Amino acid sequence: MTVTDVPIAAPSPVLAAARRRGRGFAPVLPALALVVVVFVIPVLALLLRSVLEPEPGLQNYAAFFASTTYLKVLGNTFLVAGTVTVATVLLGFPVAWFLAIAPAFWSRLLFAIVILSMWTNLLARTYAWMVLLQRTGIINRTLMNLGLISEPLPLINNLAGVTIGMTYIMLPFMILPLHATIRSIDPAIFQAASLCGASRFQAFTRVMLPLTASGIAAGALMVFVMSLGYFITPALLGGTSNMMLAELIAQLVQSLLDWGLAGAAALVLLVITLAIYMIQLRFFGFGQARS
Amino acid sequence: MSRTSRALGVAALALAAGLAGAAMAQSGSLVFTSWGGTTQDAQKKSWAVPFTKETGITVKQDGPTDYGKLKAMVESGNVSWDVVDVEADFAAAAAKDGLIEPIDFSIVKRDEIDPRFVTDHAVGSFYYSFVLGFNPASLKGKAPKSWADAFDIKAFPGKRTFYKWSAPGVLEIALLADGVPADKLYPLDLDRAFKKLDSIKKDIVWWGTGAQSQQLLASGEAPIGQFWNGRLFALEQSGEKVGISWEQNLTAADMLVVPKGAKNKEAAMKFIAEATSPEGQASFATESGYAPVNVKSAALMPKDVAANLPDKHTASQINLDMGYWAAHRDEIGKRWYAWQAE
Amino acid sequence: MLLDFARLGPWRVALIVIALLVGAYLLLPILLIIALSFGSSQWLQFPPPGWTLRWYEDLFEDPEWIASFLTSFQIAAVVTVLSVGIGLMASFGLTRGTFRGRAALRALFLTPMILPVVVLAVALYAFFLRLHLNGTFVGFVLAHLVIALPFSIIAISNALERFDRDIETAAIVCGASPLEAKIRVTLPGIRLGLVSAAIFSFLASWDEVVIAIFMASPDLQTLPVRIFGALRQDLSPVIAAVSTLLIALTAALMALAAFFRKDARS
Repeated sequence: MTVTDVPIAAPSPVLAAARRRGRGFAPVLPALALVVVVFVIPVLALLLRSVLEPEPGLQNYAAFFASTTYLKVLGNTFLVAGTVTVATVLLGFPVAWFLAIAPAFWSRLLFAIVILSMWTNLLARTYAWMVLLQRTGIINRTLMNLGLISEPLPLINNLAGVTIGMTYIMLPFMILPLHATIRSIDPAIFQAASLCGASRFQAFTRVMLPLTASGIAAGALMVFVMSLGYFITPALLGGTSNMMLAELIAQLVQSLLDWGLAGAAALVLLVITLAIYMIQLRFFGFGQARS
Repeated sequence: MSRTSRALGVAALALAAGLAGAAMAQSGSLVFTSWGGTTQDAQKKSWAVPFTKETGITVKQDGPTDYGKLKAMVESGNVSWDVVDVEADFAAAAAKDGLIEPIDFSIVKRDEIDPRFVTDHAVGSFYYSFVLGFNPASLKGKAPKSWADAFDIKAFPGKRTFYKWSAPGVLEIALLADGVPADKLYPLDLDRAFKKLDSIKKDIVWWGTGAQSQQLLASGEAPIGQFWNGRLFALEQSGEKVGISWEQNLTAADMLVVPKGAKNKEAAMKFIAEATSPEGQASFATESGYAPVNVKSAALMPKDVAANLPDKHTASQINLDMGYWAAHRDEIGKRWYAWQAE
Repeated sequence: MLLDFARLGPWRVALIVIALLVGAYLLLPILLIIALSFGSSQWLQFPPPGWTLRWYEDLFEDPEWIASFLTSFQIAAVVTVLSVGIGLMASFGLTRGTFRGRAALRALFLTPMILPVVVLAVALYAFFLRLHLNGTFVGFVLAHLVIALPFSIIAISNALERFDRDIETAAIVCGASPLEAKIRVTLPGIRLGLVSAAIFSFLASWDEVVIAIFMASPDLQTLPVRIFGALRQDLSPVIAAVSTLLIALTAALMALAAFFRKDARS
């Protein structure tokens, strides 16, 4: 069916509109309805406040971009999210690989640990890291008893603490999709590569990486955007000098009751993130035919 | 067709019954919101239970208090809280912004309340002191006394912990430590306070909740700092060795307020009257280790308990100036969080 | 070669070392939580001065912990079913549909994940106040569904993209109806994607604390809300006891699943 086939006075304008958009639109409708009603409308109402409060205008955005502090918080947010994403890819890829090919017992054991850590309450895990990382914590005391260090390492209330704690929480979100991706690779491909005389390194860079790129991209995207909006873990393990945007927004809403500025901060983060997402879309493409 | 209309009729009846039920429940209940945990448990036991017994009005407990939520409720006109326990600087700012109802002093007895802790829109809930607390084991027997000691890294090495949020307390402590006399604190010299704080900024671990402050002190992570007196009291009760200096302790009160448009306003006023009565205040203070705002309460309390409360440490006590804070809350808040994030 | 553990050569050593380290990293906090739940120190000191079962007694004496556990479970279960169902449909539309604006729509569906949850929490709270949905089961489910859906859509459409559509076409050629082919051929083919969608959706709801704090009422509190309250107020190791029980439950369920899998095979 082509666009011209659709009569102008169709019985149902909605249906006609759907047809004009092409096939396959109907299954998307429930998700669309949910996101519009429970997300778009309420969030737009909040974002609108950024141009309406305390009076109509762009003064909240002017205030946001004029403040070196807010810009620094924005920078921290991307720095932390980026660091955590890189760390989860570097650790998650080998683990997913191991899970896909190691002897059954070992891979099941490690899989069980991954799942267990995921199912342990987020708040409890974060508090466990506080106990582990603090100056008088187990890690520092062990290292000092072993004579490896003489002063406690600053592992908490700084970027190190956030990275350790958030990488911990995000790792499963990288490992599980990557594991599925690696499992779906046909081993015969590597036999073929081997027959063609490829070294392991060549097989890795020329075959394995390209075949898992979409899995890595999906996992990294998920981890990155989740990290951007993270709140509790950075608040407990990070210091105030590497505060992230979510914490700033919470402060503006709950302590300073400045919903206008909070809306502006939220919109800035949203726009930049969507831009990054669109760039990624160009390179990896979702939902596009890639034959 | 007739089956449909009958079904509709039943539905309408059920709806009417539901609405009537809701209306009845409304006339006989109110929602009290506080900070949860042991504080709210004590408030429930000392205020809500006797109140329900006397008036037949049931009290639902909600929490924790959230200023963002309170503002949203008032704006939407669907206010589900009737009495809320808030910090004093917020109470003052909320009165200015029209977020809370004036107190009905024909029901609440204003003359019984310590005048420091009552305004037209809020009545004290209890009052506390910020005190200097330390962990004697980590400091190897040395005992800090003054706020200046808390800023003295050489004499008392290690991390120190202060209240994270922008609120009366830390800025005053910094100025006192810098030698500002107590009677010259207000208006706060913010530049001087932040400069003093800068001198130890890298050694500060901020506590965001009372439990966190206790954990930092008990574990020795931060062996010295600023604490709510009730929290140190609780640490001692649990068997920890804790040092306290009451020198220049800083007092402030939590306040009870009624959000604008609360559904059970009259019941709310009656509840506040009960909570701030001599008995209600005495009973709560005995439970919690915080001090009563009703001047007649002290006589009703066990002597050994009364001796440990902030109102027995008045020698060098300083009242945090809520009037000043209400006027400058936003401006200080912005600067505070910006400074923290630097 | 690279997918054969025995033939990895020197790469195998590297893989084993990293797997060991990450395993230890993932296990460490769990072990600590279990140890803390039996420790007598209220202030998370480790090693604790003594051992006790006090925190478990406190836990079982308080019916509200159990009530909030059930609340969380019910909400998460409903959210999981809806999220996978709606997410599956949406993924089909996004990966197979030919309508314009798919990329934008996909971006829209993922936005709830990008936006800091605290913003969504505040926005939803103000919005639901007007609809009188705060503190209701429906309100919780709707709110959690919005944050769970992106996980479903990512996991399922990623699986769908990798799924060889020719297999489905072959089934149709062999006489299956398109729907039958989808159910009997495509769904099993993307089951790993479906399972991770379900796991992530359940977790998104089960572990969600920020929205829940805003939405909770005295009558309807999820487990994270109670844990958050306990952390704020007294940091009581009851939290460690709750977590330890959940860990034990998870471990038991996994052992059970493994047992049945073995059983089915033999």
